[in-house]
Amino acid sequence: MTTALEVRDLRASIGSVEILKGLDLEVGFGELHVIMGPNGSGKSTLCHVLMGKTDYQATGSAVVAGHELMGEDVETRARLGVAAAFQYPTEIPGVTLRELLEELAEQRSDGADIRARIDEAAVRLDATRFLDRPVNEGLSGGEKKRSEIFQLAVLAPRVAVLDEIDSGLDVDAVREVAEAVEVMRGPDVGVLLITHYNRILKYLKPDRVHVMVAGTIVQSGGPELAEELEDSGYADLVAQFGGVAPEAPEGDFLAGL
Amino acid sequence: MKPLTVDSVNAPADAGIPWLAELRRQGLEAFQQLEMPSSVEEEWRYVDLDFDLADLSLADGPGAPMAPGEYAIPSNGHATIVDGTVVDVDSPAEISVMAIGDADPALLADAGGSAIPADLDRFAAAHYGFGGDAIVVHAAKAAVAEAPVFIDVQAVTPGTLSLPRVVLVAETQSELSVVVVYRSPDEGEFHVVPHLQATVGDNARLKVTTVQAWGSATTAIGQQRVVLGRDAHLHHGEAGIGGALGRLHFIVDIDGPGAHSEITGLYFGEDDQVLDYRAFINHRAPHTTSNMFLKGAVEDASHSVFTGLIRIEEVAQRVDAYQTNRNLVLSDDAGAESVPNLEILANDVKCGHASTVGPLDADQRYYLMSRGLDRIHADRLQVRGFFEEAIGRMPHPELAEPIRAAVNDKYVRAQEEGRL
Repeated sequence: MTTALEVRDLRASIGSVEILKGLDLEVGFGELHVIMGPNGSGKSTLCHVLMGKTDYQATGSAVVAGHELMGEDVETRARLGVAAAFQYPTEIPGVTLRELLEELAEQRSDGADIRARIDEAAVRLDATRFLDRPVNEGLSGGEKKRSEIFQLAVLAPRVAVLDEIDSGLDVDAVREVAEAVEVMRGPDVGVLLITHYNRILKYLKPDRVHVMVAGTIVQSGGPELAEELEDSGYADLVAQFGGVAPEAPEGDFLAGL
Repeated sequence: MKPLTVDSVNAPADAGIPWLAELRRQGLEAFQQLEMPSSVEEEWRYVDLDFDLADLSLADGPGAPMAPGEYAIPSNGHATIVDGTVVDVDSPAEISVMAIGDADPALLADAGGSAIPADLDRFAAAHYGFGGDAIVVHAAKAAVAEAPVFIDVQAVTPGTLSLPRVVLVAETQSELSVVVVYRSPDEGEFHVVPHLQATVGDNARLKVTTVQAWGSATTAIGQQRVVLGRDAHLHHGEAGIGGALGRLHFIVDIDGPGAHSEITGLYFGEDDQVLDYRAFINHRAPHTTSNMFLKGAVEDASHSVFTGLIRIEEVAQRVDAYQTNRNLVLSDDAGAESVPNLEILANDVKCGHASTVGPLDADQRYYLMSRGLDRIHADRLQVRGFFEEAIGRMPHPELAEPIRAAVNDKYVRAQEEGRL
């Protein structure tokens, strides 16, 4: 049995600024791993580098279900089984969510499966209300996160990277999003949840918790680690492991970290 | 073929309409005085006019009409004008569709107010001086025609100039819906100076879509004017698809208090097409509103120009006016100019504009590819969405599909031929 995701010595930089500094990680099928860390530690960069965003120069290895991702373009990675729920999902004016997924079904060999999952998952994840609206346009914060998780459920990836899907949400919305994550968990997918706060973990039971500081994982443990962090904060770890990672160059900040 | 001389038009069909007779006289005079515009003039700076109207000739008579095209829609009355001559008219019960020669001049007594001035430029002068025939669509007071009248304006005799005119009149409280499709074959060179004028009376509503589907070697210098009465409502859609050079000078005079002008357009340039839009929105009465929303794309070595002027006269207080022009530049050799202008003489108005020119959005591409679309299909979807915003706001949903197909097919073809 291969692992869902195996990351070895992953490094990434923008220009001369190194953001990921040799990251190792292994997520098994059926598992939920959480990456926590302070702002600027490179969490979102990890998400984009796994997805293949071209803003970064990346080295190292990231293997999904036995397939090496590094060197592949974004679309190929998606086909190999990586899917990301973004912290700031992009609006696609004039294209409805249904059209996007239908187009995807049109292009993929497993199109029939994708098509079958659209309406089923829309009901299961309460996405019908924005299925026929332009992608992410005019959606509330909670709806955007829900839309991302719904898309992941339709895509049925081998690895799902959820980037701060609990940020900017009120308590009720966090619980709803957590429930949606729970719905998409299963034996055929590994889930990597990136978060700044542990409040979503009140509703989710992770298998492993990793702490990321300055572009690398500095501590790993069971669910109890998240609770410890809740009490202690990141300050000690930041002091111990070399402070906050350098910020990406001006202008790329929102897209990057 | 007939040269542009006074003798060419010695018995025009519209001779019985006093204001047209006067414009014809003015046009002939202006044609002697005005020169061909040159790109030195601000108004024409993006256009290379490599011909003189005086060297062109009119067709002796209408050629054989083209077969119905992709924009033919179910209609309530229609008319066809070929090489500047009305050849076919079918008038519905609720309103009148007719050749101008068959129109009672009394019906058109007020229509002169929406005519393009004869001395606007050498093209307008030629249009009045040497043109003659026109299609008239007239909605009497409180007449309501929901299905559109379909007007097919064709140029079919290669090597000719044609000067077709469409006159729309929506009397008080009437509702008029009109689709005008302009077309010519791809084979052969054509020059066309079409006029469209519309008078929309008090409380009347006009829905009009114009589709410029000219052939690839056609030069079309279109001129258009709409005048709105009190509480009148204009919903105008424009699709610029064909033509080697497609220029449209259009004027909306918002003369009646409470009137509203809504204009939505799209254009897509390929090869070395030039698409040049000159919009003049004149608020000349208080409590009037206008909104213009225009989206365009250019690829290959094509160029688009949007120059929009919102002018708000001193009397026009409490005006709300906006214009948006968004452009996608899809190839390195293509270009788009977007020049919105405001001229505000009143002091209690809301007025604004937004204008963008740029390539496809990298973030949208990344997002779409992250869902598993390859770059080609991700970009195709982005282009489709870009135009969908305009298509969804156009006045005739029955034209959405052929317009959507025309712009998206252009993009897909360019991708498949490796031009993008």
